[in-house]
Amino acid sequence: MTDIYYTKDHEWIKVDGGEGLVGITSYASEQLGDIVFVELPQKGISFDQGKDVAVIESVKAASEIYSPASGEIIETNSSLEENPEIINDDPLVAGWLYKIKIINKEELKNLMNEEEYNKLIGV
Amino acid sequence: MSELLNENIHIEKTSLFDFHNQMNAKLVPFGGYYLPINYTPGIIAEHNHTRSSASIFDVSHMGQIEISGPFVMEAMEKILPISFSKISPGKVKYTQFLNKEGKIIDDLMIHRTSNENTVWLVVNAACKEKDINHLRENLNKKFDINIRDDLSLIALQGPKSESALLKLAPGILGMEFMSSAWVNFQNYKILISRCGYTGEDGFEISIPNKYVLSFTQKLLENSDVKLAGLGARDSLRLEAGLCLYGHDINLKISPIEAGLKWSICKERISSADFIGGNSIKHECSKGPSKRLLGFLPKGRAPAREGTLIYDAGENLIGEVTSGGFSPTLSIPISMGYIDSSLIDEKEVFLNVRGKKIPAEIVKLPFVPHNYFKKVN
Repeated sequence: MTDIYYTKDHEWIKVDGGEGLVGITSYASEQLGDIVFVELPQKGISFDQGKDVAVIESVKAASEIYSPASGEIIETNSSLEENPEIINDDPLVAGWLYKIKIINKEELKNLMNEEEYNKLIGV
Repeated sequence: MSELLNENIHIEKTSLFDFHNQMNAKLVPFGGYYLPINYTPGIIAEHNHTRSSASIFDVSHMGQIEISGPFVMEAMEKILPISFSKISPGKVKYTQFLNKEGKIIDDLMIHRTSNENTVWLVVNAACKEKDINHLRENLNKKFDINIRDDLSLIALQGPKSESALLKLAPGILGMEFMSSAWVNFQNYKILISRCGYTGEDGFEISIPNKYVLSFTQKLLENSDVKLAGLGARDSLRLEAGLCLYGHDINLKISPIEAGLKWSICKERISSADFIGGNSIKHECSKGPSKRLLGFLPKGRAPAREGTLIYDAGENLIGEVTSGGFSPTLSIPISMGYIDSSLIDEKEVFLNVRGKKIPAEIVKLPFVPHNYFKKVN
């Protein structure tokens, strides 16, 4: 069973057991417009919840990605290096950014569920 | 993701504001006006459409200024580094307002009209007030300075601009690049200039505010023509190596440093009889201390405005003033200034978020200009 949580900064995290897959929401992808470059974290590095972990550059500007949970990066989506536009095409599945080993599941309580997030973006 | 900024200052609307909203434009404050950054297709699609077909940009934020009075050209020559003896009636010239130190107050287009007592200027939106003050300070009060905010301005840019505009204004066939003419359209007059800021052939069209919507809609009836926003305008002008005021040029930069010496009348550099003339003459004889160049960073990370430039020995040698992603070349491109003594360096390093990215120095433009050339 996968649970999905959202941040106020428009990231999502899909939690499966002790691991979380992280990406940006469709709303964020639409707001950013054409994505041309993604800077991903290195495997093995740990980040705290809310810390800037990656950068997404659209034609317009660079935007920081803040980690929805604390933990260690265990995988990154290497297909984004050559084809960052995958995020625009499919932000919720193929456009995932990285996988994290979650160290404290209690932190997920700080995040929003889908209903709360939709309310935030006015859907 | 970082929050998008929301500025709470007074922002004007152009006459096409409601139309932009209907067309799903993403509107942002720019130069004191709400303008579309892009429409539904997005910046890259709008950019590519402009390079291959034709796009309409609402540039009504720009200042259109009519200056009239006897001997207005002589008076303007005391301010600007141009010679009207080399600009025929009906021709348009790119130039700059300079301060006494020879630095750029604004860059602009000036039209020599068929009326010898009138010149027409198109200036940057954010510089309008500064420009008017500069004109009032330096022009005799007998000249009438008329800010034509009764007129909108749209730019039609791209290789299919002429064929699209011909259907509405047959008189423009074969009109020379950098020329302008008042044309009757239905029951009103429009000023058509063959120029633009995308590196492509195209036209800028001044239209009375109340007619700009119907004119724009008529152009859009042609399937070659689509709307494009400021985002595409910025990536197009960057590929074309064209300076944007407030970024690549400002009150600390001279036209010589910015590679704009071509726009200054040669004879007037030696006579130095315009505002900033002595500084420009001096700078031309000793050479500028820094130069605007193009950079191609390795990899895919764009090196944007403010990125610091280093040499191989880790010495700070300059700064990027415009940078982004080139949709035409599918690589990042940047323009910026480096110390003149270093322009022969083969490689420089751009500090992007703490990483020194090697970059090749290239001549501007990044994408060759595709301006209209009259074939006789």
